[in-house]
Amino acid sequence: MPETSNILDLLEAGIRAENLRQKAIASNIANLETPGYRRVDVKFEELLDKALGSAGKIDLSKIEPQLHQPKQTPVKSNGNDVNLETEVGEMVKNTLRHKAYIRVLSKKYRQMELALNTKT
Amino acid sequence: MDGNNSFGPIDIAISGMRAQKRHMDVISSNVANVRTTDAGTGEPYRRLETLFKTQDDGVSGVSVDEIVKDMADFQKIFDPGHTLADEDGYVAMPNVNLPIEMMNLTIATRAYQANVAILKRYQQMVETTLELLR
Repeated sequence: MPETSNILDLLEAGIRAENLRQKAIASNIANLETPGYRRVDVKFEELLDKALGSAGKIDLSKIEPQLHQPKQTPVKSNGNDVNLETEVGEMVKNTLRHKAYIRVLSKKYRQMELALNTKT
Repeated sequence: MDGNNSFGPIDIAISGMRAQKRHMDVISSNVANVRTTDAGTGEPYRRLETLFKTQDDGVSGVSVDEIVKDMADFQKIFDPGHTLADEDGYVAMPNVNLPIEMMNLTIATRAYQANVAILKRYQQMVETTLELLR
């Protein structure tokens, strides 16, 4: 286990990834019927996992969420592989993750506030 | 399926929705071709049926395994004026039975709704857990 980074940095990286994923899902849904369009996804958790597994200090600024096309889903006759249900599911998961990060972040800020207020 | 995945129920519900949507495709094909006498194979349209299978052993989602042809006999209707009528005046029509298709349509719709209900409930459950972080 490498030296633990600042929790705020970790949360920030997570929120940035969720933000990008939300955009990717919006683009997928917008191109539901676009011929030849392949769905895009965001690769972040695997990269983070790899970084956390490696020794040494992690530089979170180096772990940028990446856009990629999985090209695993079945392709429709117009060369498009977006499935509305899958995108809705991804959106629900993304929203829940985002909520969790935001909640932890606000909790952390409240702890800091508490620490600052103790002398009064 | 990965037992440690906290979003397992979401993936399973989505697989159910996708499978029922596929089932709906098959049903609409059957209904649309209820009077198709030429399926390009020299015989009338054969009714299609959806076969579902689990994605994994144990706790798992569903996927459409195969879409198979219903090998039941074609319906014969008496219509001597029809171009395809045989010497006795009978025409072979697809083995699609509309009331059965309507019944399957209801099942597919209800199953889809049930999967959406699961998805919504699970979302609420996770949100309840997240309330603890407030």
